[in-house]
Amino acid sequence: MNEAIGAVRGVYGVWLREITRATRDRGQMIGGVSRPIIWLLILGVGLNPYFRGEVYGQVAYVVPYTYLQFLFPAVIVLNIMYTSIQFAVSMIWDREFGFLREVLVSPMPRSLILLGKVLGGATVATTHGGLVLLLARFADVTLSFGEMAAALGFMFLLAFGLTSFGIILAARVRSFEGFGVFSNTLILPLYFASSSIFPLDPSLTRTQAVTSYPEWLVFLTRANPMTYAVDALRGILIDFNQFPTVLGPAIVLGMAVIFFVIALIDFNRT
Amino acid sequence: MANIVSVENVRASYGGTVALDGVSLEIEEGSSFALLGPNGAGKTTLMNILCTLRAPQDGRVLVAGHDVVRAPRLARRSIGVVFQTSSLDDRLTARENLNFHGLVHGLAPKRRRFHIERVLELVGLQDWQDEIVRTFSGGMRRRLEIARALMHEPRILFLDEPTVGLDAQTRQQIWEYLDQLRTERKITILTTTHYIEEVEDADVVCIIDRGKIIAQGSPEALKAEHGRRWVQADVTHAEARKAILAQFPEARPLGARSIVAPAESIEADYLQTEPFKDKLTEIRYREPTLESVFLSLTGRDLRDRTDGEREAQMAEGRRGGRR
Repeated sequence: MNEAIGAVRGVYGVWLREITRATRDRGQMIGGVSRPIIWLLILGVGLNPYFRGEVYGQVAYVVPYTYLQFLFPAVIVLNIMYTSIQFAVSMIWDREFGFLREVLVSPMPRSLILLGKVLGGATVATTHGGLVLLLARFADVTLSFGEMAAALGFMFLLAFGLTSFGIILAARVRSFEGFGVFSNTLILPLYFASSSIFPLDPSLTRTQAVTSYPEWLVFLTRANPMTYAVDALRGILIDFNQFPTVLGPAIVLGMAVIFFVIALIDFNRT
Repeated sequence: MANIVSVENVRASYGGTVALDGVSLEIEEGSSFALLGPNGAGKTTLMNILCTLRAPQDGRVLVAGHDVVRAPRLARRSIGVVFQTSSLDDRLTARENLNFHGLVHGLAPKRRRFHIERVLELVGLQDWQDEIVRTFSGGMRRRLEIARALMHEPRILFLDEPTVGLDAQTRQQIWEYLDQLRTERKITILTTTHYIEEVEDADVVCIIDRGKIIAQGSPEALKAEHGRRWVQADVTHAEARKAILAQFPEARPLGARSIVAPAESIEADYLQTEPFKDKLTEIRYREPTLESVFLSLTGRDLRDRTDGEREAQMAEGRRGGRR
């Protein structure tokens, strides 16, 4: 019993440190607020009239939502992706500046140290995702209290998986600069190829989809786990799903478990 | 009294380089134990093994009765560690750093508050507790690290080069805290250092060189046994150096420019006559100190102290440059 209370205190301590550091990091906060505003304001508002079918008089797909509504859940995912994956920089920081040793000579088992870290990163990322929810009214998305809670829960699970993923990357790319470049070149392609800014119309068969989009893009989008994360969040926020509703949450849960286990194996080795 | 640390025949290597080559030592509870040796002697490697950060390749290490390989978490409960380079989070305040330490050691809120006040008072940082650590000087950081290592009331305190890169006054102050701890709390202290004057007050000094223990005992015993009075002459002229070495069989070169010889084997007065007179830049006696003990045992000087300082400064510069 005492052991368990001690363990909870330890995880809380590691978590609290991450939260404290995040609130002092102005740059990260500014990024977390300005990124979604730019995406929604410029890309969202700019492309809004072209959605709903007519592009130079040609009817393409009919999706019963405005482009802003369609884009809104994806921007939340983008914000979470950035904050979660970039969070792993703090792992490199801890190793480089020696703080890691302070934790490693404490009686906490390594699995709990990592759990505290990932929970801390996921909390910060969920907060950044949650900031976007404040813009919901502006994007014409109406939310009930229940939808809001479901969205936050799903966002936290996604952030947990992505934070673990970032930590796996950080264990391999051990320099600050290297990690910054690497993560940036990874985040945007993953985001663009996740049906985030264009729909794969569910009414079309795969062959038909291929005639409108090149096959490689359809393949990439379907292979990208982020596609299903965006899809699940769309399901929660605007009731629009391109895939079976259980698929998104299942894939995101799988990501959280698998990535955390791999991160733990890496961490036990250092 | 019982031994609180016991190291048996420990070996460790990095890649192909042997860092520790069959080291054995015992530390009595409540004593002050100093590990003395030049940089690269294996001190930090041994320290990392003692605080469970690294497993030895061979041999057995018991800390407070727990095997550091089989029961590392139990061993960690009994130790406080101050590393050679800072391990503080410098974006947190002093108090937040201490609170973090209390939390990961599972201390209840009441005990955390009590111990934070206690250790802050001990190192005199109460007025700075809510300042961000980044603004602290090297000495303040070191004091805070010592305070932090004492938060959970460890039985043993490991200090790896606790005074490197600090000015003389701060070094003095840090040793005062440590002495106070030892007398008031009966805590066992293990320090590594290459500042010879800092180990004079230790109960046991262990001299380590190239991964091996070469002598161990109280400073007095070591000086009585190995300490000799030496004459050191700095000779710039290579020919003269050769001539002196040839003339006195017990003399030996030290570094690139000096010669040392046991005082009884050489006549200092003689060196000051022709033909050597103009070729000597300096001649001095070295009284039996731990430094001359090291010299007697290895034929080398513990001369890397300036290197150590330079390294510490460079590390500081690297840290400063990154932020």
